[in-house]
Amino acid sequence: MTLRSSSLCELLCLALLRVASWLVAGRQREEWWREWQAELWHVRRAYAAEYGLWWMAERETVAFCLGAFSDALCFREQFKRRIRLATTMGSAMQCVQALFGLIAISYGVALLLPDVLAILHFSAYRDTRKLMLLRDAHSSDDSVPTISALQYQLWKGRRQELFSDFAYYQIAQQSMMPESSVHATPLVGSIASASSNLFSLLGLRVRFSQEAPGSLPRLILSEQMWKKRFHGDPGIFGRIVQVGSNPAMVSGVVGTGAWRLPGHMDAWLLLPQDMGFSNSLGFVVAHLHTSHTQWGEGWHMSAPTPAGAVDDFFCQSLTERTRGPGDVFLFAVLLACLALPATTSLPLGEYRASSRRLSWFTRVRRWSFLGCKLALLLPIAYFVSLDLAHLRSGMDPVTSEYIQLMSAFSVCLFGLRWSLRDQRQRCPVCLGKLSNPARVGQPSRSFLAWNGTELICVSGHGLLHVPEMATSWFSEQRWLYLDASWEILFTEHVFEAPGYF
Amino acid sequence: MAAAETRLSHTAAMILQAVNAGYGYGFSVMEMTGLPSGTVYPAMRRLERDELIRSNWEQQAIADAEQRPPRKYYKLTKSGKATLEASRRRYPLLVKLIPSEQEEQV
Repeated sequence: MTLRSSSLCELLCLALLRVASWLVAGRQREEWWREWQAELWHVRRAYAAEYGLWWMAERETVAFCLGAFSDALCFREQFKRRIRLATTMGSAMQCVQALFGLIAISYGVALLLPDVLAILHFSAYRDTRKLMLLRDAHSSDDSVPTISALQYQLWKGRRQELFSDFAYYQIAQQSMMPESSVHATPLVGSIASASSNLFSLLGLRVRFSQEAPGSLPRLILSEQMWKKRFHGDPGIFGRIVQVGSNPAMVSGVVGTGAWRLPGHMDAWLLLPQDMGFSNSLGFVVAHLHTSHTQWGEGWHMSAPTPAGAVDDFFCQSLTERTRGPGDVFLFAVLLACLALPATTSLPLGEYRASSRRLSWFTRVRRWSFLGCKLALLLPIAYFVSLDLAHLRSGMDPVTSEYIQLMSAFSVCLFGLRWSLRDQRQRCPVCLGKLSNPARVGQPSRSFLAWNGTELICVSGHGLLHVPEMATSWFSEQRWLYLDASWEILFTEHVFEAPGYF
Repeated sequence: MAAAETRLSHTAAMILQAVNAGYGYGFSVMEMTGLPSGTVYPAMRRLERDELIRSNWEQQAIADAEQRPPRKYYKLTKSGKATLEASRRRYPLLVKLIPSEQEEQV
């Protein structure tokens, strides 16, 4: 055997033992590394004497070192078993299961409410930062039509530097009747006569979309109209209907809640080549070349009119109109986070005074549990707030938004407060609920001793002291870890080896 | 539960017998019992936890004099001896399987 190969084998064995020691829990690691190192010296010596061939001795030595991995994994398993989660009432698993149950219930209620269902399936408008609603600057109400068809055609016909495209629609009560049903009474509804590019400009998805032959206008139904008047019959698409006195082909349906522009519509009549607008006023939607973020949500502009004069117009961004319920919810969460410190203290407990420190794994598990609770709380608050905001069908959108804001704020604030308070009342080691609260001390002796409540972990990991009155020397709750001398008091045998530190 | 009433598995009883027989190191227990490393050390750790054996590190001066690293050696406790006695009644062949070092020399 050469000296060099012997040294290499020794180094390899030490490296194996070192790697094996890393698998052992931190507090036992150095002890085992030291013992294996010491044993290795004797193992090498014993096998060198036993085997004549050096490589056979080294092979046995390496086998011994590989056995250290089995040892390490075995110690690790024993360590894991010791810090198992509490399984009694109020365990962490039961808490998480209850939260999942609440998510399922609130989502189930959402599925039963048609308005909420429409919101959940709402597909956002395309690029709302470039979409503007134009109106006469003399009108302050954007739900009132102010633009004539001539004005729209003038803008559309001129070369534009600011806008890339325009769409237009006028709202009128019109009759509608399928051609084949001669004796049926015509349906009267609010129908928007619109330029053919309206939906493509907005980026709104039209289901069952079909192209109309030649110059035949297309009629897009609202989902409500389609289901109520046509009983959701898909055979209606492609058929010709009389809208007013003109024929049109039914060529699609727009989902409930998707239309966010002014006016409540039963159907949209898309006119080819912008022919057939009346003299009444309507609405213009414009698409910007670049995002409006540099100019803000609304601004004034001067533009020529068909009469040859120049008039003031107001451009209003569609961002606010097309905003989903997520924005309101996130705002409510932010408000709840800001209000939280006023309702409860934020620290989870006083552990700095303790001479013992929880193991890395136990600490990560404790924080993960808190993070899990907070993460599960958000969908609960979201669905509950949507359910409450749309409990009554056909509610005013502004009212619904306020109800959603208030309910999301309340649920979030209550939920965050509960999460923190629940975390403080749990054992940091097994995450079980602390129990058996006992009053300790007398309030009249606050300056000489402490008085407050003492809670205990049923698994025997420790006692939690919660002061009744915050003093300079005892301001926050303190955790007192119990050692093995307390073992006889607990039914669960947790002191086999106190490896949770 | 009294120590003498503790029921050990055959493997644990073999290790206890080996330690009592004078094989006071992890490697020597392995050699004597034929058990692999992954069995012996965890079992010894459990026996130590149950206070049937106790371990001590050898004094550094002794190890230095022999030019080797200090070694951890194991000894039976009082309750360990009582448990071993109970295990010998349960496993009569234990003494024949692992005789003490003195008996072996004789």
